[in-house]
Amino acid sequence: MKALRLLSQTKLYWGLLIIVLIGALTSPYTSSGSNIFLSYENLTDVLRQVSITGLVATGMTMVILLGGIDLSVGSVMGFATVICAMLLTMRGWNAASVMGVPVTTIVIGAAVALIARFIFSGLARSHDVGAGQRRNIALSPSRSLWIPSLLGLVAAIAVAWWTASQVPTRFGVLGVLVVSSCLALALGAINGLLIVTGRLQPFIATLAMMVSALGIARLTAGQDNAVVPVYTGTNATEAFEFLRSMLWGVLPVPSVFFLAAIILFGAILRFTTFGRYAYAIGGNVEAAKLSGIKVAQVQLTAYLLSGLLAGIAGVLFVAQYRQGKPDAGTGLELDAIAAVVIGGTSLMGGRGGLAGTFVGVLIFGLLSDILQLQNIDSNVQLLMKGLIIVCTVLVQEQNLGQLIARWRFSRTREGGADPKTAESARLPSAAKAQFAREDLDEAS
Amino acid sequence: METRSLGEHERSTSQSPRVIALANRAGAPAGHVVLSAERISKSFAGVRALQSVDFDLRHGEVHALMGENGAGKSTLMKILAGVHASYEGTIEVDGTQAAFTGVRDAEEAGVAIIHQELNLVPELSVADNIFLGREPLIAGVLLDRRRMVRAAERLLERLGVAIDPESRVAGLRVGEQQLVEIAKALSLRARILIMDEPTSALSASECETLFKIVRQLAIDGVAIIYTSHRIEEVLDLADRVTVLRDGKRVVTAPIGELSHGAIISAMVGRELAASDRGAAVQDGAVVLSVRNLTLDTLGPHGWRRTLHGVSLELKRGEILGIGGLLGSGRTEILESIFGVQRGWRGGSIVVNGETADIRSPVDAYRLGLALVSEDRKERGLHLYESIGDNIALPSIGALSQFGLRAFARERALARGMVRQLAVRCTGIGQQAASLSGGNQQKVVIGKWLATEPRILLLDEPTRGIDVGAKQEIYKLIFDLAAQGLGIIVVTSEMPELLLLSDRILVMCEGRQTGLLRRENATEETVMRFAAPGMAAWPHGTAS
Repeated sequence: MKALRLLSQTKLYWGLLIIVLIGALTSPYTSSGSNIFLSYENLTDVLRQVSITGLVATGMTMVILLGGIDLSVGSVMGFATVICAMLLTMRGWNAASVMGVPVTTIVIGAAVALIARFIFSGLARSHDVGAGQRRNIALSPSRSLWIPSLLGLVAAIAVAWWTASQVPTRFGVLGVLVVSSCLALALGAINGLLIVTGRLQPFIATLAMMVSALGIARLTAGQDNAVVPVYTGTNATEAFEFLRSMLWGVLPVPSVFFLAAIILFGAILRFTTFGRYAYAIGGNVEAAKLSGIKVAQVQLTAYLLSGLLAGIAGVLFVAQYRQGKPDAGTGLELDAIAAVVIGGTSLMGGRGGLAGTFVGVLIFGLLSDILQLQNIDSNVQLLMKGLIIVCTVLVQEQNLGQLIARWRFSRTREGGADPKTAESARLPSAAKAQFAREDLDEAS
Repeated sequence: METRSLGEHERSTSQSPRVIALANRAGAPAGHVVLSAERISKSFAGVRALQSVDFDLRHGEVHALMGENGAGKSTLMKILAGVHASYEGTIEVDGTQAAFTGVRDAEEAGVAIIHQELNLVPELSVADNIFLGREPLIAGVLLDRRRMVRAAERLLERLGVAIDPESRVAGLRVGEQQLVEIAKALSLRARILIMDEPTSALSASECETLFKIVRQLAIDGVAIIYTSHRIEEVLDLADRVTVLRDGKRVVTAPIGELSHGAIISAMVGRELAASDRGAAVQDGAVVLSVRNLTLDTLGPHGWRRTLHGVSLELKRGEILGIGGLLGSGRTEILESIFGVQRGWRGGSIVVNGETADIRSPVDAYRLGLALVSEDRKERGLHLYESIGDNIALPSIGALSQFGLRAFARERALARGMVRQLAVRCTGIGQQAASLSGGNQQKVVIGKWLATEPRILLLDEPTRGIDVGAKQEIYKLIFDLAAQGLGIIVVTSEMPELLLLSDRILVMCEGRQTGLLRRENATEETVMRFAAPGMAAWPHGTAS
């Protein structure tokens, strides 16, 4: 019994273990006799492969925890790749920089103001934390409002100057990273606002964004320019290559982004009130609302972060594949959702977490790696993905213990029950026949 | 096929137009045992829910099953209705041994159950619900709506209720939905009807209708197993009563042999001292005053005024009761004050002498208000989270610094509350869903007390809670009032209203019809103001 419970609690990691075992056992060997699958190069390569999906899945996890869904991440990422590639390769004002500079200015300005206000109100409270005192402080936010606003304004001016100064000479790596993510975040914010203030269903709002972000991306890229190539050495700065290199020869840079996101947001979910509220809202919106949680604020933040992470993923995509294209993220949203679900996060919200998503993303990555090593058709991969989704979710949702208990029970009943007593439970067959037809007319 | 069965139905109509012709046409004598269960035992994951319980049910009797939450009532009923298929012991229906493998099996044998949480599909019509899964068909494929509606009409007519079989269930009141469930059971030709707390959500007049129907069913030969927390109701309705405690049968006796007190002590296992209001500590300071509160809600027929200018004042340390029938606007008052009303609110709210603009629970919380909602499971608790997480939830913002949770402080807060309210649990890590109703309610109250409110709004604080826990909640409410909280209590239970309130505001159809002082309040006076048609009476005559 205890063993079963332990098995059930750690089931998340068993799938991963099984995949690794299969990979190790089926892997081909190099001429020198070492296992290719288990080699450091192969494993880090898997990490690199999953990083883009992984980043998107990280944002998706938070949205799904809240009981929502974000279908737009693929298109938003595609949009970010276009912005990123254009800023890297084109001088002067064009569609990307015209959108990018003001939006980045506003986003960074607002972000700085909000963060400053958060810190100030935290400082103001720090001496009298505890029950009883809180209300008076919370009631007078105006006192500490003007300093954060000023800081935000200063930041906005600085960002405007900094980004605008890069326009004539092409953007640097930090520039594209900031501008692309800010634009993606803005799209996420639109999602959130539609859902929170417009009361649209998340599915609908983000579906609309999925379609329109693709349109915006195509318009930005221009019709003849559906793919914006980024050639090494010719039109991209040297530093941008960094985003696809190995960090100190240990980890691929994209996977560093991915791991950092998992750890950072994992910690946020675990240790901050925001995380607690996310679970509470996903678990029971009504009860959360009545508990005085600012539901709208938390929801908006989640969609915003989902957009932000899709934007960062877009920049990594450009670095990885040396091009930006509007349809770069087609289907990505479904991969991300699948990884989240495999990781045990409930689509109903309120249950799950980033550890699961990490495992879910890895399972997918390792699976396609194994199949590639075996030279198996990529269409088989799709089939396998589908099977894995179904199998893991069956195990996750049904609760392994229950499944086994039910199976055992049905066996004992079939074997043990006396057929005579089973029959006698029912009425004489004549009466039974009546029930079948007559129940309606009996009414009279 | 169709014509044949329709013909049959005509014949049966002509024979007995009024009598509910249920099964058992063999004409079994009254008093004959239709169902007997012997030495029923059942455990869940090692916990004994039932221990060797004997139970028998006679033709045409109303047999009340009593016990505190967790005593095993629900388990026993579910076993009898085929919901739980694995148990020890034997069940006989009409002298033949039964081994139901599911609800369908039991239904075929003539046993139907009406759960406390109704099993209706809100978006479907009444007729659709009654015949769900057993729809009459034309040529085996097409839905025969006409026949279905007619049959439903006849069933409802016989119950003596005016419900349109084509109306949507979602639009019905809870009491009416209950009647639809009964009609559904009748359509199954149930000879044994199991009713789990049918009155827990009904108003007084709806209860009366239900009782009439239950009595008529019993006269017609249906054997009824009935549970309720309201002892008065059981004394009034039942022929025999069986009391369970801790999974064992304590007593089975005809109703005449047991007094109110005897039933309670059998249920609780000890004598309960009735709690009483201590000396009220009031210094007259008004903590909450509501002026001319109106509420317009959007219903199926457009905008409708739900509250017509309600005004009230709540003093420090006072318990203000709000009485009235279900749907009279009681809950809406509390929701409007707390900023969670569904619709447009008018009027003014003054908290501690300052005009308050309460637009959301966040504002209400800052002003020191707390609302314990009537729907404990849907709106009060996170059932799948721990007790500690539930209690700390509204307070974690205040306990945290820079958004970082203070786990130690959260736990200390939760532990303190659990101790203060005497929540019976294994620890603050226990899942809220696994608690009994009374303890869940304590957790909801505790969650709000942890925010140190000055005004506590309680909506049906003892709904679905057993007697022992009820007394504890009453005592808690008195204690809180003694500590200087202003408390508003909405309740459907008249004795509770009279016991708790210092003053009683009576509502009728969205209007405030009376304001009674404790010493003037009796069931009669409250009912006089609460009953529709009396709304023209001058306001507050008796205050």
